[in-house]
Amino acid sequence: MSEPDDDVKRDGNLDANLAGRHLDEVTCLLYLERQLDRARGQEVSAHAADCASCKTLLRALERESRLLTRSMLEEDEALPSRLAAFQERARKSMQWIWGLVFGLAATGIYALYEGYIQPLQTQLDQAGFGGSNLLSLMIFQGAFWKGWQSMLTLIEVLAMVTVGVFCAVFFRRRLRRGSAMAMVVAGLCGMIALPPQVAASEMRHSESITISKSEKIKGDLFLTAARCRIDGDVDGDLYVFCQSVDVNGHVTGDVIGFAQSIRVNGPVDGNVRVGCNNVTLSGTTGKNVLAFGDSIRMDSDAKAGGSATVFGGTISIDGTLGRDILSYGHLVSITGAVGGSVKAHGDTLSIGSTAKIDGATVFEGKKPPEVASEAKLGSPVKFIKIEPKPEYRSGHYYVWQVIWAAAFILFGLVLFTVMPEFSRQATNYAERIGASLGLGVLVGCGAPIAAVIACVTVVGLFLGLSTFFLWYASLYFAQIIIGALLGQWLMGRTSELWPLIGRMIVGLLIVRLCFLIPHIGGWLKLGVIIWGIGAISLAIYRRMQPLVAQGMPAMPSPIPPGTTIGGMQPV
Amino acid sequence: MSVPGISEPTEAIARARAGDAEAWGTLYHDYAPAMFRFCRRALPTREDAEDATMDIFIKLRRNLGQYDSTRSFSAWLYRVAANHCWDILRRRKVRQDKETEDVENVPLEHPDPSALDKLIEERSSEEVRKALGKMGARARMALVMRYYSDMSYDEIADQLGVRRQFVGVVLLRARHELRAALQGNVALAAGGKA
Repeated sequence: MSEPDDDVKRDGNLDANLAGRHLDEVTCLLYLERQLDRARGQEVSAHAADCASCKTLLRALERESRLLTRSMLEEDEALPSRLAAFQERARKSMQWIWGLVFGLAATGIYALYEGYIQPLQTQLDQAGFGGSNLLSLMIFQGAFWKGWQSMLTLIEVLAMVTVGVFCAVFFRRRLRRGSAMAMVVAGLCGMIALPPQVAASEMRHSESITISKSEKIKGDLFLTAARCRIDGDVDGDLYVFCQSVDVNGHVTGDVIGFAQSIRVNGPVDGNVRVGCNNVTLSGTTGKNVLAFGDSIRMDSDAKAGGSATVFGGTISIDGTLGRDILSYGHLVSITGAVGGSVKAHGDTLSIGSTAKIDGATVFEGKKPPEVASEAKLGSPVKFIKIEPKPEYRSGHYYVWQVIWAAAFILFGLVLFTVMPEFSRQATNYAERIGASLGLGVLVGCGAPIAAVIACVTVVGLFLGLSTFFLWYASLYFAQIIIGALLGQWLMGRTSELWPLIGRMIVGLLIVRLCFLIPHIGGWLKLGVIIWGIGAISLAIYRRMQPLVAQGMPAMPSPIPPGTTIGGMQPV
Repeated sequence: MSVPGISEPTEAIARARAGDAEAWGTLYHDYAPAMFRFCRRALPTREDAEDATMDIFIKLRRNLGQYDSTRSFSAWLYRVAANHCWDILRRRKVRQDKETEDVENVPLEHPDPSALDKLIEERSSEEVRKALGKMGARARMALVMRYYSDMSYDEIADQLGVRRQFVGVVLLRARHELRAALQGNVALAAGGKA
């Protein structure tokens, strides 16, 4: 705590011969408190060794110091009750803020459910996915989930370890270390204790893969190749990540594929869920069809026991469907038989003379549907014309802008309270506009590409999906960071959390308002997102850099035996 | 410079910065008694000390973001407390003590060591605390900063607004005042021979 003081040169006595003099009291005190430089300290030591009076004075001053310290540190009065009560008041003062946060959260979730999820759920119900929402349909109850369950043990273990490490890091700062470790270990044990999955899996990777007609695969099959041809049977699910795929054999489970072109001729007992440029279905599908693609065609020989949900440019349904159709496409054409209803969105809908639709048909588009007079329809087609008016002319648009702004504020509140330091750093890095924009372009474009590449390698599927998820979240986080920066520019800089959150809210509202400006709003949004992603990336990058070791603090020079000093007094 | 029995509350500080009321409560619980004692020694009355303790924690909560976590939290807290208490005393127009005015001309004395030794021998901690209450504000403040919160000469100089090389003289003058308050011995209090 104390440093030698080179400045204490009080008069000519300092360099005088000490013989025949006594040490003055100031010098003795400075000696005891290690405030003299080494040379003077040695002089005092040497003198005190031979001078009984100075030695006694040094001892007395030292005892006086000890008495002073002891007197002050002794606890002679308990903490007054007024101060004890103050602690409770301080604790309670924060409660209303959390009440506000939870209130906002509840409102946001309700608005989101009412506005988006429920209508979508209704549409899906109509399309034959009753009883399930989109998330559970696609992930937890559908083939994707089964796929995850039956993936190689190695991937499961990797995923679990990654999640475990993430949880440990996340909880480390929030819980005591023992509690955090106990939670993570208990969680991992619970996951490991789950019943093992039944199906075995087989994975193949090559330039070109052909499963011959005589070959029968027991369990799930994963294929990654440029070209795949499956003539044999697969007793399980089939996963394909290829350029071109032909499925001619019998698949007892689901077919899940990502490819440039996929053609399913053979029977599939489960679902077909594909995302491709061209999709052609010619065989029989036991359950539902979910397809994303530029061109989606269901041949006249094709049959599906369930419903079809299709998103594409050109959609042709010429085969037979047991239940409903939900389609979003540019050109939709139906000439086959549909056991349920049809709900179509797009530019045009054409219903041919051979078409047979048992349920209701609703078309939402720009032009009236072309319906052949010979077509057998359960009820007349209901047409809802989409008016090409600017969306900002409707009140509905502004209501949703308010809801979105509230959702962003809520998201920002959560992020700033969960990661205050990181948020603060990211906001500060956003001030480096050039670096942030440059890095933002790089990360904004590079991260999704890297995620897709990681997904294609299958082994990196978890990593790829995680990267993609983080990238997607950062699109929103970026706007919050720039909002916080703008708020700081307008209202002044702060390093405290709640004032920073206040600035974030003000800045975010301004940023969202700027996005509403016709024509340039979209470009502004793009710029803000790139800028924010760059700032976040800079903050992450800096965090990953090794810390520079702190310089050693200056140690007071040890007092040599003897010590000091300054002035001497004549005896 | 740390509060006895309390290790650095790194985790609680991080959580309190994030707005965690529980962590803030923990910090208050751990440090309020030490801060109250500091204020009690530095300020003339118990009521002053209570008010000052609350004000210090309000200030602490507002400025926690400014705390550099690579430094000692206790040291930072004591600096905040010393600053606050000294502000209170200055607002009350504390008389500029003599030792800060003529500090450069302080005579270099060699007191009677045995008399000083005897005085210290005979005094208890409680007597010293009572004597502290009779001292001038600046002298008391100097002793509290040095012997309670173990602040460095640089920090004391900074707080009291004196040059660093005269902090030793200020402390010695304060000791003389304390001795005078303990005994009423003018000669000893003046630093001269008994």
